[in-house]
Formats: sequence, C-alpha cells, structure tokens
Amino acid sequence: MATFIAIILSAVLTNNFITAKTYGVCPFLGVSKKTSSAAGMGIAVTLVMVLATLVTYPIYTYVMVPLKIEFLEIIFFIFIIASLVQMLEKIIQKLSPTLYGAMGIYLPLITTNCAVLGVTELLIGDMSAILGEASMNIGWAALYALGAGLGFTIVMIIMSGMRERLNCYKTPKALAGFPIAMVTACFICMAFYVFSLISL
Amino acid sequence: MTAKQFFKGEAFKCLIALLCVLLVSGVFLTIMNSLLAVTEQERFERAINKIYGKNVKTEAVAVENYNDSATIDEAYKVKDDGNYLIKATGKGGFDNGTVTCWVVVNVSGGTVKGIDKVVIDSNKGQSYIGYINDKFLSGFSEYKGEYFNPNEGFIKTGATRSATAICNAVNASIDFVNAKFGNVAVDIYENFDLTEYINTKQTSHEITDGNVVYHIKTKGHTMPSEFTIDVTVNSAGAITDYNIVVNGSTSQSYTDKMLAGILDKTLFIGKDFAGIQAILNEGITYPGDGKDTLISTGATQSNYLCVYAAAFATKNYDKCLNAADDGDENTEGGQENE
Amino acid sequence: MNKYKKISLDGLIYQNPTFMLVLGTCPTLGLISSAFSSMGMGLTVLVVLTLSNMIISALRKVIPNAVRIPCYIVIIATLVTFARMFLEKFVPDLYDSLGGFLALIVVNCIILGRAEAFANKHNVVESAVDGIANGLGFTVALTLMGIICEFLGKGALFGLQIMDFKIGMLAKPAGAFLVYGICIAVFVYVIDGFERWRRVKANKLARENMLSAKEAA
Repeated sequence: MATFIAIILSAVLTNNFITAKTYGVCPFLGVSKKTSSAAGMGIAVTLVMVLATLVTYPIYTYVMVPLKIEFLEIIFFIFIIASLVQMLEKIIQKLSPTLYGAMGIYLPLITTNCAVLGVTELLIGDMSAILGEASMNIGWAALYALGAGLGFTIVMIIMSGMRERLNCYKTPKALAGFPIAMVTACFICMAFYVFSLISL
Repeated sequence: MTAKQFFKGEAFKCLIALLCVLLVSGVFLTIMNSLLAVTEQERFERAINKIYGKNVKTEAVAVENYNDSATIDEAYKVKDDGNYLIKATGKGGFDNGTVTCWVVVNVSGGTVKGIDKVVIDSNKGQSYIGYINDKFLSGFSEYKGEYFNPNEGFIKTGATRSATAICNAVNASIDFVNAKFGNVAVDIYENFDLTEYINTKQTSHEITDGNVVYHIKTKGHTMPSEFTIDVTVNSAGAITDYNIVVNGSTSQSYTDKMLAGILDKTLFIGKDFAGIQAILNEGITYPGDGKDTLISTGATQSNYLCVYAAAFATKNYDKCLNAADDGDENTEGGQENE
Repeated sequence: MNKYKKISLDGLIYQNPTFMLVLGTCPTLGLISSAFSSMGMGLTVLVVLTLSNMIISALRKVIPNAVRIPCYIVIIATLVTFARMFLEKFVPDLYDSLGGFLALIVVNCIILGRAEAFANKHNVVESAVDGIANGLGFTVALTLMGIICEFLGKGALFGLQIMDFKIGMLAKPAGAFLVYGICIAVFVYVIDGFERWRRVKANKLARENMLSAKEAA
C-alpha cells in the first residue's frame, strides 16, 4: 500500500511530467485553449500511456534483453505506440461513436507526444529511482504510467482553465498566444515545484 | 481478391516498402551497435579518466559493506599512488533515490588521510542533481577524521537530499577503507624497534632511489603533543634529510627553546643510528628532566621526541629496504593487501 | 541562388522552429537550464534533421504515400538511435547531460514536420539546406536561451562559474517556461517591427518614384 501511494504521488505531483520533467509540452500548449479539449486530450494520453507501458515493458524485459537488442528500443517503442494508437482509434470508432467523437481527434496527435514515449523510456531507464526500494514489475509500471497520465491531465485542465480566463483580457500583441501561455505555465510550474519538496 | 491481385496491389507495395525500410534500419543499427558499443571496460576507464585526468593502473579489491546508508559497488586500489578508488551508492537521496559516486580515498600510513576527489557517476531520480556543483564536491577535501554531515561545513546547494546521499556514499567509502585496510598498518611496524614513542598507525614510509623516506608521526610526551616529521635515510643508514612538518611543542616559547641543531636539521644530517645514540649519552631512553645532556635546553621532551624519531628512522631503515625487496614495490604503510 | 537564400532565411528567422512555430518545446524547456546541453541538443537535432531530410527527400519517389509516416518515423528513429550510440561513444559528457531527451528527438515535431512539409516535396540539396537552416535556427535559439537561463539561474556560463548572484527559479522548468515565453515575445516584436519598417520604407520609395514619375511627366 505504501508503495502504491508513493508511486501515485510521485508520478502525479512530485515528478509531474509537465511541470518537473517538461515532457509532453507540445500538446500542453497546443490543446489547452478549452477545458473540454484539454480533458479529452489528457484522458486519451493517459489511456495510451497505460496501454503502451503494458505492451512495451514485457517486450523489453522478455524479448529485447534476452536477445540483446536493447539498442533498437527507440524504433520498437515508437512503432508499438504508433500501431497502438491506430488500433485504439479503430476500436473506439467501432465500439462507441460518441466516445470517438469526444476524443478521436486527439488520438493521432498522441503518436508524436513525447510524454508517451517518455514514460516507456523512463520506466526502462531508471525504474528503481521511480519506485524506490520496490521491485519493479508490470503492475507497478502500469500504475506509474497511470499516475503520469493523471498528472498530465490535471495540469492540462488547470492550464486550460487559466487560459479560458486569460481570453477575457487583452494581451499585448507580441505576448498573445504562446508567450502568454508559457508565462502562465511558469506559474503552474512554480506552484507544482512545492510538491517536489515532499519527500516520500 | 486472389493472391495474384494482392501481390500486384498497392497494399503489397506499401508492405514491402515498410519492411525494406525496417530491414535496412535494423541492419544498419546492428552494425553500428557492434562498432560503437561501449564496453564495460571502456565505461570504467572513462570514470578513471574523469577522476584522474589520466589513465592509471588499478587492481580490483573485494567488496564488503560496513555501512547501511550506502552500498559499496566496486573498489579499486590505484597502483600508481596507493589511493583507493571506491564506487559507492549513497541512499537517502531526493525521492528515495540514490546517488552513485566515485570516491578517491587518500590513504597513507593505514588511515584515511582525506578524500581527494568525489565524482558523481550516476543518480536515480535526483532531479536537482544539477545543483551539486564542484564547490560542494571540493568540500570533501577537508577531512578531519569524522563523518561528513551535509548540514555542516558544506556550502548550501539546492539539492539537500542529493547531497545527503553523496555524503552517505563518501562516509561509507571511508568506513570501507578503514575497516578493510586501516588495521593492516599496525602489522607493518610491528617488528620494528623503538616504536614506543611512534604512532605506528599514522606513520608511513616509501622507498625512492634506495632511500627510505619516512613520514613519522610521534606520540606525545608528558608535555608536548605529537610531532610530524619527515626523515630521509639513505641506503648506508645515514640521515640525509630531516624536516619537522608539525611541531608538537606546548607553545611557541617551548619551540624557541628547542635545540637549534634539531630545528635546522644540522644535528642529524649524515648521522647513522650510532651517531643518533651518541646524542643521548645513555642509549635511547629519556634522560629525565634537569639532567645535563645535549638536549636539556628547557624543551627537553620536544627535543627527545625529535631525536627519538631520528633513532627510529635510522634503526629500522634496513627492515624497510628488506620488506621492499620481498617482491612488492609498494611498501607504503597499510597498503599491503594481497 | 535566391531560392536557397529564401529557404535559409525561412528556417533561421521567418519560420524559426523555436520562436515562430514553437515546435520541439520539450527538449527546449527541459535543457535550457544549461547552455552546454542546450547547444548539444541543438547540434544533435541539426545533424539528425539534415540527414533525415536528405534521406526522406531521396526516397520520396520510392515510399508509397499510404505508409510514408511510419517510414519517416523508422528513418528518424534509426538516425536518433545512431546519434545516441555516437554520442555515448565519443561525447559521453553530452550524452549524460542530455539524458532522456536524446531518445525523445524521435518525437520532436520539427523533424517529422520538416519531413512532411518540405523534404517529401523537394530535391535532396534543397532539403539539406532546409535541414541545416532549421537546425541552425533551433540551435541558435536554444543556445541563446541556455545562456540566459544558465547565467541568471546558476551564475555560470557553459559550466564556468562567474558570479555568485543567481535566481534559482530560472534554472528550473518554471524559469524555462518564463524565459522561453519572453524570448518568443521579444523575437516576434523585433521581427514585426523590422517588417513594418521595411514596408514603410518600401511604400515611401514607391511614393517617391510615383511623384518623380509624375513630375517628369
């Protein structure tokens, strides 16, 4: 249970992908103009993160390491993620057209989202750092991916809320768009920095 | 759709193109991987290079753990200068992570003299490791024989937890070297004569060009505390150099009262054991206060310790040379570990 | 020649990937706390981008349209893996400081973006020029922000400690966002001002020409 809480807290707050690691900033800045789209993107990313981890982790541990082809990890991972996203898109389209309408448009964007590749690479790279003393297994890996996705979603939603408010005010021409979004993100990061002081 | 149609169709062409690209990439990377693979040996040499700035010969030493706050991963004896190179992983870092560093433990005379260098090798989950700068790491050079505490005596960095892990790793390295090699020193001078006033654990010697160069640390006498004296004895048993590094006299006034011949080394130069014995009329025992000997200048005890060190050096020089001839060139105190 | 000048200027200034298009933000924000690593990242992207542009441009007639994106990704991933091996072997310092962002070059939108937008429509030489221009634009922007962030955030330049004063926040992600945002604003402002100045000058010239033509008539 302690490990469970530690992993979730670490992934969601202290090592938040956007505010601490700056992974997945492109969609964070690009799709955060409206809360509904931010939430849709966040959930889609979370889903793909968990699924990608569930696939890449066993493949890396049980196929790539025994065959000594770890150096191919980037190609393997990106390919797995790309095909996963394609499959997911088709499945959702078949099963639930309403859901597809809500988040289908975000799925193709996810392939080139660094957060997804980041989480798979990170889980392989320094697993013990993420999990402390806990021994790594696929369950913890998936949990970490879930936490990372949730952290991403939370920051996305906060950001979109702030940007919606920001739309009510007039910004200088040079600052409009990305610059003011980044200054906003700076404040979110500062707020989240406090979480990194928590020692678990 | 028949098989023939499939093979002529667009889908087949796509499949072939994709497979070709994948195949070429895979083959290219496999070749490159075998060409550019970084071996463990290379990784190790890199670490050594980083620490020393040059390649040195090392010898692996069996690893044991003496400390719970860190694990010793690897340990090497550096043949060129007798130091120890320890790879230790300190626990208790930020976010339950660890910091692995290379620690150069300077060993002389069987005890840890200091930490020459600490180089961070890798870390786990230390997001703020960038705040650990060279200034912080150089703080380890001031070793006073105690554990390092990241909250005291160090400049503040932005990464207190990572700093704790580094301190743990360094402390464990000191523990390891002390526990494993520290006590061997006693044995080295065990059979030597005239060790009554010599702190054998902190004394060392090396052999250069047939001369024995001692770094003697004496014990204190009734009044004065320890002297640290460098003495060079040539192969004929005569003193060729004598320098008081640390004067243990009670105060400056006593230092001033010491025999001038001792302070400017003229008393000892060229003398062998018999010559030293002649300074103290009746053998190498303390003449006692108030007696009329050459060293009774008002700082008799200080003078006596200095003469005693010279006697120790000249009496035992042949033992040092013999030990060196036994095969191992490196006879520095406490370094024998075969 | 004019064609190449336009491609270069687009990549460096008018379509600068970092300041104008705001692409490849993850490595930018993650690495600008150190000038050395941000410049290293810029140069790595420069090489990977130029090579991928050239290869994709050379293969643009061979690769079927339907599978072009997977093919591009495989090519880019291969180049990145190669870059990773190369750096680990020959520049281990940089390899260490880039960390996870090295693998993430694969999903750097600049590279796939240039492949889609430029390389699959132009010949090899043009694609190479485009790759170098965009890569240089990225490198210069990253190095510039790296110097600002490192100087203010750590009091150092390229790892060399030069002053004790520092604003620690600027060496963290929060500061990276702030500096990046402000740099974009300044860049856009300067370019806008320059464009306006050029337009005004051109208008003035045109009017004078017209007037002199009238007078002559």
